[in-house]
Amino acid sequence: MTLLWQPSAPDHVPAELMVDFDFFHVPAGVSDPTEIWHDLVRRGVPRIFYTPRNGGHWVFLNYADIAEAYRNYQIFSTYQTPIPPMEPFPVVVPQGVDPPEHDVFRQLLAPMFTPFAVRRMTEGLQHRAEKLISGFKTDGQCDFVADYASKFPTSTFLDLFGLPEERLPEFLRLAHVFFRSTDPEIRAANFAEIYAELEAMFREKERNPGNDMASTIVNARDANGNQHRWIDILNCGFLLFVAGLDTVTNTMAYVWRYLAATPAARAHFRERLDDPAAFLLAVEELMRVTAVSNLFRRVTHDCEFRGVKFKRNDRLILSNTLANRDPAVFERPDEIDLDRKVNNHLTFGVGPHRCIGSHLAKREIMISLQEWLKQIPEFEMAPAQDELSVFAGAVMGFESLKLVW
Amino acid sequence: MRVLVNLAVCQGHARCEDLCPEVFATDPVEGKCVIEQPEFPPELEAKVRLAVRNCPEGALRIAAGETS
Repeated sequence: MTLLWQPSAPDHVPAELMVDFDFFHVPAGVSDPTEIWHDLVRRGVPRIFYTPRNGGHWVFLNYADIAEAYRNYQIFSTYQTPIPPMEPFPVVVPQGVDPPEHDVFRQLLAPMFTPFAVRRMTEGLQHRAEKLISGFKTDGQCDFVADYASKFPTSTFLDLFGLPEERLPEFLRLAHVFFRSTDPEIRAANFAEIYAELEAMFREKERNPGNDMASTIVNARDANGNQHRWIDILNCGFLLFVAGLDTVTNTMAYVWRYLAATPAARAHFRERLDDPAAFLLAVEELMRVTAVSNLFRRVTHDCEFRGVKFKRNDRLILSNTLANRDPAVFERPDEIDLDRKVNNHLTFGVGPHRCIGSHLAKREIMISLQEWLKQIPEFEMAPAQDELSVFAGAVMGFESLKLVW
Repeated sequence: MRVLVNLAVCQGHARCEDLCPEVFATDPVEGKCVIEQPEFPPELEAKVRLAVRNCPEGALRIAAGETS
């Protein structure tokens, strides 16, 4: 594959800003993949550093720099950003384009993801959570990732896109290969299969529109009264498929892993089942400490930022888990305080690309937790866990999490 | 006291609505902040201040002493 943008040689990077860091690598014995990032802070590496790994990229450590990079799309673009570089990469609208182009699809999607829209999904989400949990409740055990955390967001996607629930096994398989396979051939075939599914879905919704997101997207009209470009429609569908699955799955895995090990936290949530405001406040703290996503950006032009020289096409990783533990912003950043009052974490990013699904994601997690605690108030980690199940990368998490009750 | 929002900065995180629904809401189209009660009563001051401090975009501010 020809690279449209050659990764820049690091001759503009001073030796003192070079750090050897592979964000895919979890050393043996590390049971929490976010720790590979916090270890950088403990090692005292520069607040802005460059690693030659994975094609070479920058890393920002501080909340202020990460937040500024999110906002400053004039320098830090979301266009063609994969790390390691993989080009051409589909331009997934609206995430993969900058304003003003970004705003067209953002405005199309926004009404479907507002708090107002998400509140109307509550009953459906509750029903789905209840059904899934009661399916294994009497077993006294489950693999939380396989039995709940992957199924819940995937079946939510099917519902929102007006696809029948019987397709769940197929979509679970597509998602699993997409997120976990590293074999280029398998990945290419998987990619083609996902796009074929999206193509068929949008064609069907064009002919027989329903009250769902796929129908809204395919039948929307641009400023000139025309349907959006077909490739944009497909890529938008692809974005909505991939963006809300692995992120929610692994956030849930982190949350349940913490609750399984922390009786006081389980009690805290159980005592607040009838107090949605206090429950949500505590969920917000879980969001802060379980930021599983590392976002990519690409530098648009040679420039200087915070006294460091950047070259056009330099790549950059914004790690939300680092921002969320910055002592300049959070009191006692490493402590999980379920009553934390001031908590403007960056788990969903900031600026024009703020995670459009944030309200849905939060509601999925909150409802899952409420339904779970009603049915399974006490649970813990199974004595035998698979140590190889930890992974890092753009999304960090666990392949499996065995719980017993 | 009066609370103001800069809608050019607001990105629809809705933390204000979560923390103080008496004063803040979000619109159903863009999901951005709507201040339903700009001049809030003193008993809501603590909650409004908390909402202001939790806005990840810094889009809210309290104009102390201002009256209409």
